[in-house]
Amino acid sequence: MRIFKFLLLSIWACSFAAQADIPDYRAFPAEGARLLLWVASERGRAEPELQAAQQLAERGMAVWSLDPVSAFFLPQLPSSMDSVPAQDLADWLRAAQAGGKRVVVYAVSRAAVPVLRAAALLQPVERQQLCVLLMYPNLYTVAAPLAAPDFLDVGRLSGLQVRVLQPRRSAATPWLPGLLDHLEKQGASTSQVILENLREGYWMRETPTEFEMAESRRMDAMLLRELNDWGCQ
Amino acid sequence: MKRWLMACALGLLLNGGTQAAGFEARPATPAPELKAQDLTGATRTLADYRGKVVLLNFWASWCPPCLREMPSMERLRLEMTGRPLAIVALDSAETPEEVNAYLSKMKLGFPILLDPDGSNTRRWKVFALPTTFLLDAQGRVRYVLTGPTEWDEGEALQAIESLLAELPTQSKQREPKPLTPQ
Repeated sequence: MRIFKFLLLSIWACSFAAQADIPDYRAFPAEGARLLLWVASERGRAEPELQAAQQLAERGMAVWSLDPVSAFFLPQLPSSMDSVPAQDLADWLRAAQAGGKRVVVYAVSRAAVPVLRAAALLQPVERQQLCVLLMYPNLYTVAAPLAAPDFLDVGRLSGLQVRVLQPRRSAATPWLPGLLDHLEKQGASTSQVILENLREGYWMRETPTEFEMAESRRMDAMLLRELNDWGCQ
Repeated sequence: MKRWLMACALGLLLNGGTQAAGFEARPATPAPELKAQDLTGATRTLADYRGKVVLLNFWASWCPPCLREMPSMERLRLEMTGRPLAIVALDSAETPEEVNAYLSKMKLGFPILLDPDGSNTRRWKVFALPTTFLLDAQGRVRYVLTGPTEWDEGEALQAIESLLAELPTQSKQREPKPLTPQ
């Protein structure tokens, strides 16, 4: 009988979870006026990212850390990010904005796709209040040698402020102007920062350089610096 | 579906994936313009290699798969001495200092070209490193490889030999190697 009750309770809990609109995330509370929504890449959330989130919270910036492949039970592939329900993410953005803090979204690699799609679903006034920081965004549909690149249509982004952080040591760096053009055609206001002497995903490299290891440890400081320099209001 | 697969493959490569996607034979099409300076400051174009099969490799010193395949390119150069094959490695979007820092550790006998502003990389639509193009003696793109390989063996060597075999008999024959003083 007890087992039967437990089963019923489990089914009820699972059905409730399945109906939830907001993905499961990890919160790092802080008293400051800013809230950073950290969306991990298709490779999942790495330990240095959690450490940086904790350090940011200690410095007064609240962080909600979302690992989409884990939250939505997806394989660790770039294409998985295209399957993340944009409406769920839009609800998450709204929930963050409802708290009254200044909300900045920080998305890594292909996570830019669901984040931008979610931003496109917001009302214009909600979108204008959002700042989006993209770390080496991958928005390609097709990028084959000798063929012009093709970007995903993520929807209208009018009023959205987007800043791209691009590690210099990346095959994508020469293509950054084209990516920014695409975002601007979608209506976003864009800017860029080149991160010198770093490669994509430098905090989770198998063979990082000494500089990359040091930068991994001070990711919190890098993000604070870039946010302050940007001044997205 | 095809687009998703392409995006998936691209993502893996952009993130430093090390698996070669395999040789892709292309219908013979004229190659894009190549105009880059070598380490001496001389400007090089594809016209400099006319009449030869060309292995054009896009690489960067920060890219581990690129560096892994370099020794096999050097072995290929030595193996092909006297045959009409030009190996050219174009460094994508780095400074001469960064390239020279690598070359001080790795001696390579083939020309290294520089593309500090990435203009050649964009013209050739290179989105992942390493990417290598095999051109026939008429300057047409015949094969593309995204990802690293061992250039002196297997499929890579076969592709190169197939292009060399298209050349007139005289030019594809080995030239006599110079005698080594005893």
